[in-house]
Amino acid sequence: MIKIECNHCHLSFDEKIMIKENDLNFCCGGCQSVYHILKSENLDSFYEKLGNKTIKAPLQVSNDDLSKFDSENFLNSYTTITKDGFVQIDLILEGIHCAACVWLNEKVLYDTKGVIEANINFTTNKARVVFNSDILKLSDIIKKIRSVGYNAYAYDSSIADKEASKAKQDYFVRIMVAVVCTMNIMMLSVAKYTGFFTGMSIEVKNMIHLAEFILATPVLFFSGFVFYKGAYFGLKNRIVNMDLLVSSGATMTYVYSLFVLFGAKGESYFDSVAMIITFVLIGKYLEVIGKKSAIDTLDKIKSTLPLEAIVVKDGKKETKALNLVQVGDLIELKIGEKVPVDGKIISGNASFDESSLTGESIPVYKKTGDNIFSGTVILDSTILFEVVKDFKNSTFSSIVTLLEDSLNSKPKIQTLANKISRRFSLIILSIAFITFLVWYYFGLDLGFYFEGVNQFERSFITAISVVVIACPCALALATPMASLVGISELAKKSLLFKEAKFIETIANATTVVFDKTGTLTKGELEVSFVEFFNKDERSINLLYSLLDSSNHPVSIAVKRYIKENFEVSNVSLEDIKNIEAKGLSARYENIEILGGNEALLKEFDVKINIHLNSKFTQYLFCIDKKIVANFELKDELKDDAKELIEYLKEQNIESIMLTGDNNFVASSIAKELEISNYKANLTPKDKADFIKDLKNSGKTVVMVGDGVNDSVALASSDVAIAMGNSADISMMVSDVVMLNSKLKSLKDAFIISKKTYKHIKQNLAFSLIYNTITIPIAAAGFIIPLFAALSMSLSSLVVVLNSLRIKIK
Amino acid sequence: MIDDTLFFMLVVGLIISAGMLFLFIWAAKSGQFDDASKMTNGMLFDSVEDLNDAIKKEKSIKESKKDIKKEDK
Repeated sequence: MIKIECNHCHLSFDEKIMIKENDLNFCCGGCQSVYHILKSENLDSFYEKLGNKTIKAPLQVSNDDLSKFDSENFLNSYTTITKDGFVQIDLILEGIHCAACVWLNEKVLYDTKGVIEANINFTTNKARVVFNSDILKLSDIIKKIRSVGYNAYAYDSSIADKEASKAKQDYFVRIMVAVVCTMNIMMLSVAKYTGFFTGMSIEVKNMIHLAEFILATPVLFFSGFVFYKGAYFGLKNRIVNMDLLVSSGATMTYVYSLFVLFGAKGESYFDSVAMIITFVLIGKYLEVIGKKSAIDTLDKIKSTLPLEAIVVKDGKKETKALNLVQVGDLIELKIGEKVPVDGKIISGNASFDESSLTGESIPVYKKTGDNIFSGTVILDSTILFEVVKDFKNSTFSSIVTLLEDSLNSKPKIQTLANKISRRFSLIILSIAFITFLVWYYFGLDLGFYFEGVNQFERSFITAISVVVIACPCALALATPMASLVGISELAKKSLLFKEAKFIETIANATTVVFDKTGTLTKGELEVSFVEFFNKDERSINLLYSLLDSSNHPVSIAVKRYIKENFEVSNVSLEDIKNIEAKGLSARYENIEILGGNEALLKEFDVKINIHLNSKFTQYLFCIDKKIVANFELKDELKDDAKELIEYLKEQNIESIMLTGDNNFVASSIAKELEISNYKANLTPKDKADFIKDLKNSGKTVVMVGDGVNDSVALASSDVAIAMGNSADISMMVSDVVMLNSKLKSLKDAFIISKKTYKHIKQNLAFSLIYNTITIPIAAAGFIIPLFAALSMSLSSLVVVLNSLRIKIK
Repeated sequence: MIDDTLFFMLVVGLIISAGMLFLFIWAAKSGQFDDASKMTNGMLFDSVEDLNDAIKKEKSIKESKKDIKKEDK
């Protein structure tokens, strides 16, 4: 077999299945048509920009639903009028994977007459299009995007989204100011410290101090403003928080340095002020980014929910907005549509993809009288159903509400550093205050370097020096520094932590709860058992052709197996019929061929003379009422699943498996992995309740999942980890996202988190020891310049270097 | 003498970095860094054609806004 590259998407496929056209090769009709559109519209520099990169095959979306984009209802809910009188719409684009895709879409839109502005955000795939509604309809824009192989959904750009974008930009500016100033100060500090040992005239030293003062001021008051704000709100709620420690430490150091600048003897510490603010601010920025991306994913979920439904009344069809649909209305649902509200089938039978609720990819067959749930997708037929629950109370909407509730009520994790720093900052501030009182009351003058200052100033400087020496450097940096290094190490292993505090929680986890499908298993069917009764070329080709005409997951899995093991070619079948939830029937030169499950064979009166293992998914293939082949399909375990469970056992962490699948499949997987504790047949709510019970019994629970059905459980856990191919909603509620879906990364998450936590503890221990030694000296007024300068830099250096040790394997 | 030179260089250095910082803040506020991945790929699209497109884009925005204003009058 020779593999060749498709001229559009650059993916390599077997030569036989390629569509040939002169010198060009295409893997599918979609690639071919997009290629020609790009050529004819002079957009072929797209391929130049794409380079050697591959893209996914273009999406082929039918244009049947275009009219909905021009309906008044739709325009009212999604578009706004700009002040110039144009129409503005926010879209989420599907199918963007590289910068060339962004370029292509922007270019196509700009080349359309009537489009005023088109701006696509590569990171979030959001697009803002402003167009002239006199020249152009919205549906034309959607059509344009679809013609080049992408798809667009409208979304309601929420206030939260705008605020999060603004906050992100605001932090970005603050950080840049802090970084620029701190880097300049560091450069001056090199001169200052060198001068300290080699000698420096007092004028030069003052000059450097003055420059440092100018640079440190914006860092403290502009960049550090967020800490003052945090400390203020903390105090208002009677909480001593990390912000108070950082802001009071930095301010006092700044004031102390001001005294030095204006004449008091000693060293100034503007460099410490700037450095602390900068480092802690970068840590905060990561949180802001996490919040922003959570909102972006929420927008994506909302955009995929349908907005309207076709209501049938007295034989007439009418399009109605979903929030106006009432209980008792009859709704028509076409192939491929999402069920908008919960209901009961009145007429028709069809298979439904319920993966968003149960996590299982195998479609569920429903007949007249059965209940259907919102969020599921109808696969192979058109049905009429009666509305049982209105939009707000339907399954999918209530899952979203449940999620929002669990997210809002999520307890704030009290981290070790926070606990220590809270007590510590109180102690330090009191010691400083006592020092001041003692010095002032007794008129102490133990130090030997205060000349020409009065008693109040002397006492004040000494009190401040206690805070300066104690607070900022080591302790404020102990956690952020180690966390930053830990987070970047984790990111290298494709693990995105939304906040640093989850490192500590993972390191202290007692229980890990896994979802089965898609997390421990691959989440797609694979042929696990094959039996052929006739293996000639003709039967294989017939089988392949039949499989090729269906996109049912079972057909796709068997087709993949056949393609890998046999030489196949397509023959043209006639009269292909899709028998819902059973399989396919077709004719080839007056021979009847069948492919499907046991029920299909029974329907066609085929005698089943072989033993069937009914516990697994079956695919049987018949020619002329004789069984030719029998396939058993199973969801296989992921590669590193066993290794991960063993590792967790070694670490004394309990593993539990939860699944919406049946007990038989669950027990066989659990046995294979040696997990003793598992629960089957669970609904999304059951899973969440199980997690809550675990938490109530005092356990620290890590939940690993992927589907929408796991999202509520994820939101209820202490730390939620979502797989990379997860539903957007799960990623949104998760605290950690694994960019790949490999379980090996999950093991890395535990290893690196434990290591990082160890270093955080070391850092804290070091700073506490350091402080118990230096605070008495400072309180006694013996902070001689040499000692202060050295210890200030050394303590930070020790913490930074110790944190960097996390990188060493 | 050396002190004066040092002082001069320090002031010039601070002014330059303040200028750069100001430029940066202006760029950030105008939204140029909102999309980190697009920004880092932007330099790949600098052919004559791409730059002409960029100018065309700006012109078309201006012109269509002008048209509307004329109609209003």
